Amino acid sequence: MNAIADRYAERGIGSYFLYTHEAHPGENIAHLTSFEQKLEHAAKLRDELGVARPIVVDSLDGACHRAYGSMPNMTWIFTRAGIPVYKSDWTDAASVENAIEYFLQGVERRQEGQRLAPFYVERLDFRVQDRQAFYKGLERNGPKAVEEFRNAFG
Amino acid sequence: MSEDALIQRYNYDSFVPDNFMPWMRFDASPKLGDPAPDFPLWDLEGQESNLSSLWSQHLYTILEFGSYT
Repeated sequence: MNAIADRYAERGIGSYFLYTHEAHPGENIAHLTSFEQKLEHAAKLRDELGVARPIVVDSLDGACHRAYGSMPNMTWIFTRAGIPVYKSDWTDAASVENAIEYFLQGVERRQEGQRLAPFYVERLDFRVQDRQAFYKGLERNGPKAVEEFRNAFG
Repeated sequence: MSEDALIQRYNYDSFVPDNFMPWMRFDASPKLGDPAPDFPLWDLEGQESNLSSLWSQHLYTILEFGSYT
């Protein structure tokens, strides 16, 4: 997602990361109890996990996250007027880039004189499922995070 | 639910279905094509802005939701 942000920045595409809540809290990264702690965790995400896009932080009660469906790693795309034109319940860089390319083509088609009207489409995309990398991430959070995920999903 | 209770429930301390499943309501999320709800957000220095101030700066704005864990 960082690479997409870099690739499309000069074509008018803004990219942000919104910090929500700890989905898999553990001994090393605890659940959130204060807004100051939330800011600290968001800074760790930037410094330790390399999120290079601007990070914005939701309120401690997750008002924005909850209003948009509360999925742990979803992605939305908005127009300049605040109209959502893409939403995915999980983040996949290829899916996001595909959508951005399509929307930018729409801009070009309009510049070429085509009259375009929006329509609704649903699609089932695919994401990489790397169980090993996921468990490595859980281990970083602490043994409790690993055990709880194993208990919930095996 | 009081604000304190909401904060505690949303920021659960254990990943067990009773804690995380009630929050996952993508089916009830805002509709594509309709104006999106705006919310206050903060940068890492604690400066307040809002979601609309992000999307209004760009032709399109990608917003990824997530956390360290």
